[in-house]
Amino acid sequence: MNNQYFLRNLIAKPEFGPFVLLALEIAIFTAINPNFLSPQNISNTLAFTVELGLIALAMTLLMTAGEFDLSVGSVFGFAPVLMWTLFNSEIMPLGLAFFVALLVASLIGMANAWFVARLKIPSFLVTLGMLLVVRGTALFVTDGFPQRTWSAGGSFLADILVGSFNIGPFRIYMSLFWFVLAVLVLGYVLNRTKAGNWIQAAGGNPGAARARGVGVEKTKVALFMLSATLAGFSGIISSIRTSAANPNSGTGYELEVIAMVVIGGTALTGGRGTIIGTVLGIFILRTMRNGIIMVGVPGLAYNIFIGAIILGMMALHSWLERRHQAGT
Amino acid sequence: MAEELIRMENIGKFYGRVQALKDVNLVVNRREIVGLLGDNGAGKSTLIKVLSGAVPASSGDIYISGRKVKMKSTNDAIANGIETIYQDSALVPQLSIARNLFLGREPTIGPAILGRLDTAKMNEVSRELLKQVGISKNIPPDTPIGMLSGGERQAVAIARAMHFDSELIILDEPTNNLGVAETRGVLNFVRRARDTDHACILIAHNIHHVFQVVDRIVVMRHGQVVADNIDPKVTSVDEVERIITGMEEEALL
Repeated sequence: MNNQYFLRNLIAKPEFGPFVLLALEIAIFTAINPNFLSPQNISNTLAFTVELGLIALAMTLLMTAGEFDLSVGSVFGFAPVLMWTLFNSEIMPLGLAFFVALLVASLIGMANAWFVARLKIPSFLVTLGMLLVVRGTALFVTDGFPQRTWSAGGSFLADILVGSFNIGPFRIYMSLFWFVLAVLVLGYVLNRTKAGNWIQAAGGNPGAARARGVGVEKTKVALFMLSATLAGFSGIISSIRTSAANPNSGTGYELEVIAMVVIGGTALTGGRGTIIGTVLGIFILRTMRNGIIMVGVPGLAYNIFIGAIILGMMALHSWLERRHQAGT
Repeated sequence: MAEELIRMENIGKFYGRVQALKDVNLVVNRREIVGLLGDNGAGKSTLIKVLSGAVPASSGDIYISGRKVKMKSTNDAIANGIETIYQDSALVPQLSIARNLFLGREPTIGPAILGRLDTAKMNEVSRELLKQVGISKNIPPDTPIGMLSGGERQAVAIARAMHFDSELIILDEPTNNLGVAETRGVLNFVRRARDTDHACILIAHNIHHVFQVVDRIVVMRHGQVVADNIDPKVTSVDEVERIITGMEEEALL
């Protein structure tokens, strides 16, 4: 009886479906191509996965509070462009340029929040507009050309952001450390803290939250700033690792990140979010991208699989939600 | 001699050019349940919003225990001991009973900067409160509000209002969409609130529900109070209905 109760509870959890899907993906890809689980492939996949993952983690909190941020991809491209422009023009040292770029990213988040919280414009429209403004600025400032980044090699900043080391046969980048740290901190904030309670309340029923004295607007401002700052941070990490700060980089990331979050089980309508689910969502999509290439499916077919996964997972989450509402 | 708790004096409220409230005076005494009645658009909800800090009054003053107060936000109202339970917007369905009960005033444990919720305390107090408002079923405090019945949700909202040192509990349509047994339960919670030294303002469309539980009835029409001392023990439902619709005045004309 107890076992049955445990099993039902386990299946009802939003993370259960994504977990099964990820396990299936890994099993199928490994069965077709054993190299899929090779240390080299895992190391390569992890390097970029965690960079995109940082944005998805912040987006989880924002979406739990009932908002979106479509400008993250453009901030991902803009922040490194700004940092390298400031540094290469000898306006300031690299460390200071790093902080200025993050500060500007957070101000972009604050501007998003101002339109959403103060002017009551839907975040979908606000951040769509901001996407164009930020991307356009990056292209204008650089004339559309990538910035030089080779002078980062050996600097302290490069070491702590993307330094790599080997653990056995695995090559691990420092970005994995930042990702794990973000998972722990944001997971703790969402599930264990007063701020997490406010985030869920702001998305679940903002009217009720306001009536209880919860600072719904302040909470959203903080989350928009977090989202943009982590997008900028992630873009800078990526630019140093790949030695390229391209004003066009990050194009389309916003949709991939939102897909990762909803596949993981965070409610699109707000009020309920899961960091563990997002971690699973991140790995589901990146494993799929890597796996279909490894097993010989043309890369151009990638979007077919991603679309199918999103539809399938949405159907599953909706079914679980209905069961939950019915109390079964 | 009744001890005065709330006094609203000459309250006016404009939405643009539309006057929603005109020189409204309302007094609520301690341990008194006041029924606020009126047709749609009579101004009941606006008056309650003013008293709960949700919208500012355009004119007039509010006194609590004789002290003049400013209601600029819901936080001001809560700080002054006024708790409002709105019809459907009082709770967050995705959050647990305990998290809803303490929403906005969550107890924390450990260093303040970590903001860690004291879940043990929240659960313990929640269990006690659920017992107090008479939810006899063994519902764990970590149950999401969305899984409770309409009556149980109202009970949770009332329990919350009673817990945080509130002196006045405003209930906006607490019996809407509830079954007979659940309505009876909610009205019992209101009586219990009075027994524990709380005053209540009860707004309900169903006059019979109001008659069952209130000490005094106030009627509003066209943004004004048209009767403020109706005793439900000596007045019939028909008479009150006539006052609400204005038929009383038409008969006199």
